Amino acid sequence: MICRVGDVVRCGEVVSIEPEVTATTVADAVRTESTDADDRIEVSCPTPSLLHEAVGCLYPGMGVQTKTALARAARTRGMTTPYDEDLEAARAKLTDVCVESISLRQHREVMAGTEETVEQARVRAAEARGRVRECEENGLATDEANSRLAAALQYLSEAETAAIAAEQAYTSAREQRRAQLDNREQRFRLQDRVANYEREAHAYLVDQLRDEFSETLTTLSEMMADQLSDALSTPIRSPFDVEPVPAALAVGHLGNLSAPVVLAIDWFESPSKASEWLDTSVIHI
Amino acid sequence: MLLVIAYSREARQTLRNICRGHEESVVRRFGRVVLLEETEFGAFLATRLRVKHGGDIQVERTAPFNEFDAVRPAVREAATDYESRETPSLPYKQFRSETDHPTSAEMKEQSL
Repeated sequence: MICRVGDVVRCGEVVSIEPEVTATTVADAVRTESTDADDRIEVSCPTPSLLHEAVGCLYPGMGVQTKTALARAARTRGMTTPYDEDLEAARAKLTDVCVESISLRQHREVMAGTEETVEQARVRAAEARGRVRECEENGLATDEANSRLAAALQYLSEAETAAIAAEQAYTSAREQRRAQLDNREQRFRLQDRVANYEREAHAYLVDQLRDEFSETLTTLSEMMADQLSDALSTPIRSPFDVEPVPAALAVGHLGNLSAPVVLAIDWFESPSKASEWLDTSVIHI
Repeated sequence: MLLVIAYSREARQTLRNICRGHEESVVRRFGRVVLLEETEFGAFLATRLRVKHGGDIQVERTAPFNEFDAVRPAVREAATDYESRETPSLPYKQFRSETDHPTSAEMKEQSL
């Protein structure tokens, strides 16, 4: 691993850096492949596994979804579940569903506009008609009023034609959309199916590693009785209720992280002991 | 009322959250389908969903259905008579053949 912070470059399995940057910033640098020499932090290392996102950055006050992390650890060990085949099939079907996007927004907006124009044109025509009548009643010349009325009627007729066209376009777009909604319906069902299989697989993996996780926690608590005395002084109902840092350390021990773990805690005798426990390189802050 | 249907998991989640936060504007909820009050606020909620999820949200405006007003008497009478038929398994097609009631095909062609 090569770790550069500013102008300082450090290499090796275990590197220590000054606490001028936060643990999460360093973890981001581990997870992104930077090509920008202007970045303050740059870490060249193997690609992190999915597990790294969950337990690749350890600091006081961190959070972890222990079960999700444990399921990911199981995957990094190549563990499979009886649901994998169905899950893959459902995922494949899901990518095959083609959902075109037909937006009716434009149609709705145009239609509302044309309807309003027709209303206004009707009012104008009625006014023009009124003026013609007024002229007639008062014995005035009606030529100008008549030509205004003709113009107003012409405008109204054009507005009505436009409104009809807009409504027809909207109706046919709505019909097209109906077919499209059927596709969306199918996609939605597949999404749900994938999520269900994922949940089942997840629970299966957690079950498979439950005992090992428990044992690892015990080993961990024996190793660091001092640091864990607080965390373990209150009885824990389930191993999954353990605090985030010990949970992450246990999960990290069980899975393959592939990339350096960022360590902003001093639970181990030395960073190299942490590296040994997690079986991966470590950036210690 | 405003009928709102979600067509993706994300849209359904937003719909749930909105319903939870604004129960007073929700008339009925059925999973991924919601009926909102026909108020400006109901429209505000529906439009927000539309803006956020585009085609994954369908919004329709519903109207009360009055069978004494929306359809001709023949349809109403056909429905009433058929529902009081003596043999429950009798298909409408056969039931109709001895009466003056409109055919299914006729009714399908006639828009309300």
